[in-house]
Amino acid sequence: MSSEPIERRVSYLGDRLRASQCQSCGKEYFEVRDYCSNCGRKSYGKMDSIDLFYDKGKLELCTFINEPTNKFMKFQNFVYGIISFHNGKIRVPGRITDQIIADGKDIDLASLEGREVVPRFRRRYSVGKSEVVPTISLAFTLADEYYPHQEYRITAPNKEYELPGVVGYGVYASRFRIKEAGLERAVPFVDEDSVTAAVEAGKLALIHSGVDNSLVGKVYVGSESNPYSVKPIASKVAQVLKLGEEDGDIQGVDAVDTEFACKAATSIFKDACALVSYPRSGIKYAMAIGADNSQAAPRGCPGGELDTFVGYGGAAFIFGKNDVIAQMEGWYSCTSDTPDFWRRDGEPFPMHGGRFTGDPAYFKHVRKATSKLMERLKLKASDIGYFVAHQPNPQFPVRIAKELGFKEEQYLPGIMINKFGNTYSGCVPLSLAAVLDVAKPEELILVGSYGSGAGSDAYLLRTTSQLIDKRKQQKANVRFQAENPFIEYVDYQTYRRLKIGM
Amino acid sequence: MQNRPTIVAVGRTKFGEHYGKEPEKLIEEAWLAASNECSLERKDLEACYMSDCFLPITNKLGLEEGFLSELTELHVPMEVTRSFSAALLTACHAIQAGVYNTVLVGGIEKMTDRWDKIRDDLMLLEDPWSYFAGGTPEANHELLLRAYIKKHHITGENLEKLNVALAQVSVKNHANATKNKYAQYHRPITVDQVLHARKTAHKPLGMYDFAPISDGASALILTSEVAAKKRCDKPIYVLACSSATDYLNYTARDDLAHFVAAELAMKKAVQMAGTTISDIQVIEVNDQSTMMELVSLEDLGFIEPGTSWKNIHESYQNNKNFYEVNGKHLFVNTDGGLKADGNPVGATGGAQIFEIYRQLKGQAEARQVSFVNGSPKTGCVSEFEGFGTKAYVTILGEKKD
Repeated sequence: MSSEPIERRVSYLGDRLRASQCQSCGKEYFEVRDYCSNCGRKSYGKMDSIDLFYDKGKLELCTFINEPTNKFMKFQNFVYGIISFHNGKIRVPGRITDQIIADGKDIDLASLEGREVVPRFRRRYSVGKSEVVPTISLAFTLADEYYPHQEYRITAPNKEYELPGVVGYGVYASRFRIKEAGLERAVPFVDEDSVTAAVEAGKLALIHSGVDNSLVGKVYVGSESNPYSVKPIASKVAQVLKLGEEDGDIQGVDAVDTEFACKAATSIFKDACALVSYPRSGIKYAMAIGADNSQAAPRGCPGGELDTFVGYGGAAFIFGKNDVIAQMEGWYSCTSDTPDFWRRDGEPFPMHGGRFTGDPAYFKHVRKATSKLMERLKLKASDIGYFVAHQPNPQFPVRIAKELGFKEEQYLPGIMINKFGNTYSGCVPLSLAAVLDVAKPEELILVGSYGSGAGSDAYLLRTTSQLIDKRKQQKANVRFQAENPFIEYVDYQTYRRLKIGM
Repeated sequence: MQNRPTIVAVGRTKFGEHYGKEPEKLIEEAWLAASNECSLERKDLEACYMSDCFLPITNKLGLEEGFLSELTELHVPMEVTRSFSAALLTACHAIQAGVYNTVLVGGIEKMTDRWDKIRDDLMLLEDPWSYFAGGTPEANHELLLRAYIKKHHITGENLEKLNVALAQVSVKNHANATKNKYAQYHRPITVDQVLHARKTAHKPLGMYDFAPISDGASALILTSEVAAKKRCDKPIYVLACSSATDYLNYTARDDLAHFVAAELAMKKAVQMAGTTISDIQVIEVNDQSTMMELVSLEDLGFIEPGTSWKNIHESYQNNKNFYEVNGKHLFVNTDGGLKADGNPVGATGGAQIFEIYRQLKGQAEARQVSFVNGSPKTGCVSEFEGFGTKAYVTILGEKKD
């Protein structure tokens, strides 16, 4: 039902928008039901569970809220209404999200009614700092705006590869941007955080790969802006996306969060590959997500220099051995204890080592990992199609690319900081996705991630012909989100307000 | 109805903000007024039925029966329900069953003690999923209006008329409340004010379309027919008392443009009372919003579905304080309704019964409605719990056999 404390503890019902349908009369219900109220007890145990999570609804009726209840104050003004699915067989209440409506604006309700909407996974409302963060999918965006509706079609794999690799990926960025000094950076809406980005990116990766969610045996989430010090993002991803074998309200999946500044996600690409290759793991697919609401102190405060570059977003990669779009050919990782950027527990913003973040930190590690890998695989820069490096600012990736002998056409497709900002753990995954969006089959991609603290992972990927086949399964690719006509630009004050969130 | 329950006295407090008064002070005031009116002693009470919706939340009072027992120094059975109509319904059943002869029915609410959080409480309790999705108590009324407009294809000039009719409901209720000394507001308002409030809020309904939050209490003495004769000359009978329910989640209901529970409760009540809708002359509807008054008139069967705005609009043009429907005069919310009289949820139903009782007895002073043959003979009260989730209809009148 809808008991507030239970819904708070076990929020998978509202998170996933689960519904039920009677096998005999076909009546549908929002919420999970044991029997149909038309058919009575003979329908007990004969209810199919249906899912509205990948569905598209219609905004049937709506009104405008500018005096929300206390817990929704941070949303300020928004459109709220009744969303119907399956031609009105199921109706749910819903908030239209991703809209900044200025005070004193008249909303034409009639023109919104009848439009198609897509459920979004978001924070539900504000709670105290020590409380569990409630989430919900009763937040919707208009289907003909920033996020298109994409169907999730599970496809049986038809080819097994010798080496494991990327089977599919999804990239999630917000609709809002701040544009300053030639740089566009993604800004989360007030109900977004690293958890919601991780779930949405994972959802898009499932859609792109066509992988059966129940075959994903492990999920890793790398982030440095988890709203919790203790409680994984990965458990939310596993539950909402129903990864692994489903048994009631528990999923047969291993889920873990990783942290190593900006390389938290890239570090585990090799673990994911190893896991799916281990003959007795029983795991066909592993998902690795990097997502961040990149933190930075406001300008003028200590650590405020980061405020010029931070973004929001993430990317999810599914690794496996079937229907691979880019095989993992090798890797090299290196680590040293270099404190160039850090955030103490309990502190809201990270600190930055200023000029010590370049040569002794970023360049030293990225250079080491990438050149070692090239040396091992006996590759020259000219053998490689694309080079992707971590992007803490617009200059560093260019300098290291040039130093390693790469030309503009090799490194520019993988520079995304000017479109989304530095998305921390999401930065290299998102940029790799941008390269996979445009690469041709049988091309080599060299990746050099960087995590402060400090370390770097270099990977070499070789694309396959299935890269092209799977592209049609992804409408919201990186370019779609970078050049979307529905992007809304905000000023610095709004950016700070949205970034701090609820 | 066998062994008809009878109201022998009513009492209430003024509605509004009672900053310094404890909840038990309010119920004391209402109970004293009622008992005084029929010279009843505490020891004559055989049971008490009380209602409050929020006291455990607003005033952290969990066992309301306890302070009522302390107040009356009685140890009789006492029960608490969430609305006055629910308390009355339970009390009527007990009288009809012959269990008791004289009982107290009371209602109380003190919402202003939690004015800053009461909208969250209201919404969470009345429709949790809508609350989780961001809904406000007002939003559901606006969606009801949107659904009504769509269902009845109201457009253009008619839509203008509907919007004005809703404003007129509020204006009429405020005008009625100026003659009610217990009412929360004694300030007449104009149609322009109502429309202006909507405009500045940029919303379909504005401040003057909604009932306020209030403190207050109400009480009545209910007896068996036999016991009533000893207490007063002209008792008022409860001819019918019925209820019906609907889903908690408004969005899950089949028809979003009206309240099916009210319709069902009214049908049952009319049957129970052995009367017809056209016999009913004074009506108290639960106007949590102006939209709710409009739609209630249709749900209760007084006006054809989809047309009440026309009757309201035309009646108002002719400067009448009643709605004219097929030549018949409908007096609705003569006390000012929830809009202007106030809406202390648990006590609201008691104030509605209070008004009908006074009208039928010819004691409504400046508000008194009169027909060719004197004061009205039959009246009805409709009350809701939640947003149409529970509907109650009570029909009061002189005994008809």
